[in-house]
Amino acid sequence: MQFIVLLIVTLSVSPLIAQDSCSYQLSGYVIDEHDRMPLANSRVYIKEPRRGVFADSMGYFVFPGLCSGTYEFYCKHVGCDAVKKTITIQGNTEGNFYPEHHVDFDAVNVMAAKMNEEVSLATRKLSEKDKNETKGFSLGDGLTRINGVRRLSTGNNISKPVIHGLHSNRILILNNGVRQEGQQWGNEHAPEIDPFIADELAVVKGANGVRYGPDAIGGVVLVNPKELRKTPGIGVELNLVGLSNGLQGNTSATLDGNSSKFPAISWRLQGTFKRGGNAKTPDYYLKNTGLKEYNFSYALAYNKPKYGIDFFYSQFNTDIGIFSAAHIGNLTDLQQAFEAEEPLESAGFTYDIDRPRQHIEHELFKTKGYLRTGKKGKIALTYARQYNKRLEYDKHVPLNDSLANLNLPALQFELTTHTAEIVWEHIRLKSFKGSLGVNGTYQENTYAGRFFIPNFQKIGAGIFWIESWKPKASKLEIESGVRFDNIYQRVYMWKDETIVSPAQNYMNMSGTIGAIYKVNKRLILRSNLGTAWRPPNINELYSNGLHHGAASIEIGDSTLVTEKAVNASASVEYSGKRLSVVLDAYYNVINDFIYLKPTLVTTVTIKGAFPTFAHDQVNAHLRGLDFTLSYALTKEFKVISKASILRALNQTSRQHLVMMPADRFENSLEYNFKDGKKVENAYVSLSVTSVLKQSRVPENSDFVNPPEGYTVLNFAAGIDIPLNANNISLGISANNLLNVRYRDYMNRFRYFANEMGRNISVRATIPFALFTPKSIHN
Amino acid sequence: MQINMKTKTNMKTNMRTIALLGLTCIAALSSCKKDDDLVTVPQPIANEQEVITTVTLQFTDLAGVQPNVTATFRDPDGDGGLNYDIFDTIRLQNNTVYNASILLLNETVSPADTISNEVLEEDDEHLFCFTPSFANLSIARTDTDGVYEVGLQSQWTVGNVGNGTTQIVLKHQPGIKDGTCAPGETDIDVTFVTEIQ
Repeated sequence: MQFIVLLIVTLSVSPLIAQDSCSYQLSGYVIDEHDRMPLANSRVYIKEPRRGVFADSMGYFVFPGLCSGTYEFYCKHVGCDAVKKTITIQGNTEGNFYPEHHVDFDAVNVMAAKMNEEVSLATRKLSEKDKNETKGFSLGDGLTRINGVRRLSTGNNISKPVIHGLHSNRILILNNGVRQEGQQWGNEHAPEIDPFIADELAVVKGANGVRYGPDAIGGVVLVNPKELRKTPGIGVELNLVGLSNGLQGNTSATLDGNSSKFPAISWRLQGTFKRGGNAKTPDYYLKNTGLKEYNFSYALAYNKPKYGIDFFYSQFNTDIGIFSAAHIGNLTDLQQAFEAEEPLESAGFTYDIDRPRQHIEHELFKTKGYLRTGKKGKIALTYARQYNKRLEYDKHVPLNDSLANLNLPALQFELTTHTAEIVWEHIRLKSFKGSLGVNGTYQENTYAGRFFIPNFQKIGAGIFWIESWKPKASKLEIESGVRFDNIYQRVYMWKDETIVSPAQNYMNMSGTIGAIYKVNKRLILRSNLGTAWRPPNINELYSNGLHHGAASIEIGDSTLVTEKAVNASASVEYSGKRLSVVLDAYYNVINDFIYLKPTLVTTVTIKGAFPTFAHDQVNAHLRGLDFTLSYALTKEFKVISKASILRALNQTSRQHLVMMPADRFENSLEYNFKDGKKVENAYVSLSVTSVLKQSRVPENSDFVNPPEGYTVLNFAAGIDIPLNANNISLGISANNLLNVRYRDYMNRFRYFANEMGRNISVRATIPFALFTPKSIHN
Repeated sequence: MQINMKTKTNMKTNMRTIALLGLTCIAALSSCKKDDDLVTVPQPIANEQEVITTVTLQFTDLAGVQPNVTATFRDPDGDGGLNYDIFDTIRLQNNTVYNASILLLNETVSPADTISNEVLEEDDEHLFCFTPSFANLSIARTDTDGVYEVGLQSQWTVGNVGNGTTQIVLKHQPGIKDGTCAPGETDIDVTFVTEIQ
């Protein structure tokens, strides 16, 4: 209640200051003081009247509507103190900002630290605008805004990021600096992360085994919460999002504070609640596709310039309804399902979630401490524990009444992971900057219910060293790193009424070498050659059973060897006054690529004969490019074109690889309104997304041909209303505006139903100060 | 509203105390969840909820002349894993009318669970469908759930000597049973080789 009262009070006292007709502008770049990298999403603002703009992904900003006179400009970037600069405006003026970090190393901002470590690999961040527009959607959906990132979905509620055609165990998700450990091998197992926690979302495209360890063959997703508050006071941010399709509501609130008496102490509380009902295609509802999610997290930090410690805890809980008509008994049912015009089970709208459904819990506790070692280095120690519980309920309860009354899940997995890492970083010493670290993992998995993967223990250890070389004033920077890993895993399973426990050991080296060449302020070239590897996953080694959703039998192979990748990538980034271009090209060679190969024999079960797939290893080549072009036609109008193209070949059989995303093109037109007295950053945009038919598929690899290509129209609009020190941000978007009927090759439910129809989302982000101490630190 | 400085300072302190207390409470409440199962002792296979491992057809000659016949399909560990270990051929005498009853078992538990009793209990949700591949055999369901046939009991009218197959399908049709084989999910689908001697 107090919040609301406070909010109303705050709203009503916002000052309105009249202004002359002023049309000058200040433009320039926000650049890192130390490494001269552009700082994206920095905010440049003045205090009287309170107005501000955000720099774009290249750190470029334009501050319009200035009168002649002297202004005090402030520039604030996450992880840095606000810098103040007095500039006299007498016409259009240019000026750059160099926000300064607190200390040479920013202990709190993991993202900034990690992102700068391997900059020769293209790292693309979700823009502020894209982040806003995808609020209320899942993490996997949000990431598709980054060119080259697609999603692998299972119906409308489950979606996983796909980077350059690779997903699941071939990409790594770093949640607040910790490797996310769930049952990520499953196609229908989405990342267990609350997207509202993520203040920064970025994707490192390409093999990155050196810094992050095994599995980072396709790339790394970086998810980072908001930086803890550094100025005294307590702030609140409310996020409210409503989606028309499925009548989904999202509420998320963040409360953060810093003590004025003990400035070293910062804290944050955050919680999200989400509820949605049955989704609708243009013609019919999808039965049992509601979801319910409730998450919370807290963080507490004690940071001094020379040492510090922080704690982070988050809990993710979700109940997901699985589309009823997609649960089938055998091949005949599957055949019937995809021959039907409409799903064989119809429904109206409801929020109720029935069987089949999933219930997932994920818990992360993390603590990190750091200590500066002299003037040249810093040592950081991180420990994290994760607990992941996954319950999958079949469509039907058992026939036996006493069993049915237990209401047990058909599948249950519990995965507990402990990770620890020690990293020593040193600042640039005679052109060299780098880090050296060791890390360890201990993991345990247990199952109950139907056998799919066995119990196992996994122990991993790794050591790495990364250095970058860049003499002062050199346009060229070279970086290189090396890593050694060992993974030991042991499974426990029943065989002929005794417990057997075979074990495997995998060791591997990874390396990376890359260069960044800054031709000038506008043009940056990057290239990287890196290796990564992953041990065969438990399901690839030991799974043996019927995959209900896929109507197939999957057989593991305990003799599989390590999958190894060598990835070459190159990027060109040009950022001109009107034109900006980003091009990421890659060639990824993966040896002993593990995939499901259809065998010629069928397996006869009591439910009929099923096609049988065995895990096999081949050499795979994946190559492609992601191209983004943006051109400002006028001050207001901007066109943006994106293309993402991938070719994936099985070199052994000279055939294409199965389940690879088709080529995608997106064109949008954006209109940015002039900032007014009471509104900022207002825009409308219309975009056309086309996905071609995936014609490059191996023969006899699927029950039906890939669906046709499709084109959908999307609309978005947003506006910021400055209020005291903050901006209230409002927005509306519509996906699939024309209610087009289509199916996507990367959706595993394409056999059963069309994609969602029109979905209109309305959102509001309301930040306000709950408590401000008397003295304000600038 | 007038607040003197002292109250303001107190408020500040209170705020901090409340915030810290709040954090402590949450930290205490959100103590870690735990996996209680032992990784080194996996759940026995039989913990699986319910599988149908065995279908047995029991034939009796309506006239009481020919000997009884049984035919069984059995996959002892359910779908996947090991293959079936019994897959009989149905051998019937020509020009005979048999009564057939179907027995379904879950043999992963001991003693075996008779699933066909559960089907009988929920007969309004189940339907057996019989499809012989040749004209020498005709099959008719003889039992009913009150509205529609079920098929746990059936009559097999056997004609002249010949060979073919007989497909037996059990459809689970909760709330959607309409007397036809189309709706629902397939629980059983076994095609027996059939010989008429």
